Amino acid sequence: MSKDRYSRQSFLGGNAEELISRCTIAVPGLGGGGSHIVQQLAHIGFQRYVLYDFDVVEESNLNRLVGANLTDALAETPKLHLAKKMIYGLQPNATVRGFACKWQEKPEPLRECQIVVGCVDSYKGREELEIACRRYLMHYIDIGMDVHGKERPVIGGQVVQSSHGGLCMRCMGFLTDEKLAAEAARYGDAGHRPQVIWPNGVLASTAVGLAVDLITNWTRNSRSHAYLAYDGNQGTLKESLTLRNLAIKACPHFRDCEVGDPVFVEL
Amino acid sequence: MKVQIKLTGALHADIIRDLARPHPFAAERVGFVFGRAGSLTDHGRLILLTRYHSIPDDQYVEDHTVGARIGSEALTWAMQAVYHGRPAREGIFHLHLHGHYGETGMSATDRREIPRLIPGFQSVGRDAVHGIIILSADHGSGWVWPQSGTEPIHADCVSVIGAPVGVFDRGRAK
Amino acid sequence: MAYPTEQIEDLKRYCAKLSALPEGQVTFLYMQGLSLPAGCQPSVCDALLCPAARDGYPSRLYLSVKVASPYARNWNCSNARIGERNWFAFSWKVDLNDPTLTQLLIAHLNGFAKEK
Repeated sequence: MSKDRYSRQSFLGGNAEELISRCTIAVPGLGGGGSHIVQQLAHIGFQRYVLYDFDVVEESNLNRLVGANLTDALAETPKLHLAKKMIYGLQPNATVRGFACKWQEKPEPLRECQIVVGCVDSYKGREELEIACRRYLMHYIDIGMDVHGKERPVIGGQVVQSSHGGLCMRCMGFLTDEKLAAEAARYGDAGHRPQVIWPNGVLASTAVGLAVDLITNWTRNSRSHAYLAYDGNQGTLKESLTLRNLAIKACPHFRDCEVGDPVFVEL
Repeated sequence: MKVQIKLTGALHADIIRDLARPHPFAAERVGFVFGRAGSLTDHGRLILLTRYHSIPDDQYVEDHTVGARIGSEALTWAMQAVYHGRPAREGIFHLHLHGHYGETGMSATDRREIPRLIPGFQSVGRDAVHGIIILSADHGSGWVWPQSGTEPIHADCVSVIGAPVGVFDRGRAK
Repeated sequence: MAYPTEQIEDLKRYCAKLSALPEGQVTFLYMQGLSLPAGCQPSVCDALLCPAARDGYPSRLYLSVKVASPYARNWNCSNARIGERNWFAFSWKVDLNDPTLTQLLIAHLNGFAKEK
């Protein structure tokens, strides 16, 4: 392979490719957001992947599923297969551990990762991923978008980074009991959430940028947390207002005793 | 059996800062770090280091034949810590720093001296995993004794989950 | 979070083993071998009692399996991940004023035995 391959990303640091290649990164959810993430990770040079998705390509995915085409919809190609094809096409020596299930059904491989990029579609799913990441010491980066309002649709979204020792999604005001309760009340009536490719692209790219920075520290920002709010109507992505106005300096929601396999204290 | 060790960037920085301090007479410093276990596939083990104990200067024994020797007070403290960590199945790891770059291994002195501590830790903390960690300027290696195991398993990887992330693979120098 | 000793001792009567599991801001009560009301299949399973408000419920009882019971229940919680295990719960709101742990447990178990 020519050493020119990564010459355009030399600003990331002299040993950036080596650092990136050693990191194991998980992507639970290979839909609209996850497919973007995987594509970019493969281009940048990530070599070690843990992927989860049990779903197959459908026609309604084709407006946003990166890497999918009409044949995949007809053939009901597993999204996991698409992701692997994307990765191996760019990184033939990559190690890809793929699981056609929810990560909760096979959680052990996730724990080997240093970074998890969550592309799930529920607040409960995000909460569970964050708990797992805090337990087994992984950086957690979350992306998601939604469209609300019928008369005047508004596209919103977020990129959140939650890391051990830093503020969590509850601290940052992204996860709340109200959101979880409202979601639980809607169970079985979730319907098909609107999804389009361009916000997914913005959010996925930003998430990948955060991941690369966590590994290479090229910006020297050394972020312990992040919450970027996306306004798809204005075309902006900026630090969430709730984060800017936050009084909390240390996370009270996760305790050191909750690291590792749960310990049940007999009463 | 796959073994991985993880620690946060903050903990790693605290450890390096402490171990790099000069000691009045010892050539190097030693500490203890505590870890909780996580399960991996195929009975693999993930060790998550959570807290560090710096050994006070006056608990070293002057012995110029070795880099550092800790006294009985330090060992007693360690045993008590293992005992108190039993409900959480917390294991203890002897920790020190080799002052070079790249992957590090146990010196002849390390191989002779440090594993002698393990049976004592195992007898007190039966349900935990104990071991040895050696850091270098830019790498890290670990050896883990499973419960009741007499032979160590060389960890496949030590990861620092900070900003930046550090991944120290066994058999792959920086 | 610590629970009153006498309430813990009372709760132990309903299961083979009782443990505490702290996670997030809640301390769950892990009940191994909880006996379920007559007509339930299985008749015994593991359970997590969550005495604190969660997911829109003032308290919740999670079970290790989806239990078949005399009355059909809306199992609106599947594979909830708590304590690195997957749990199930049906929609059942318990509204009691300052219940003991046992009163809470029984109120949740009544969800199997009552038509509505």
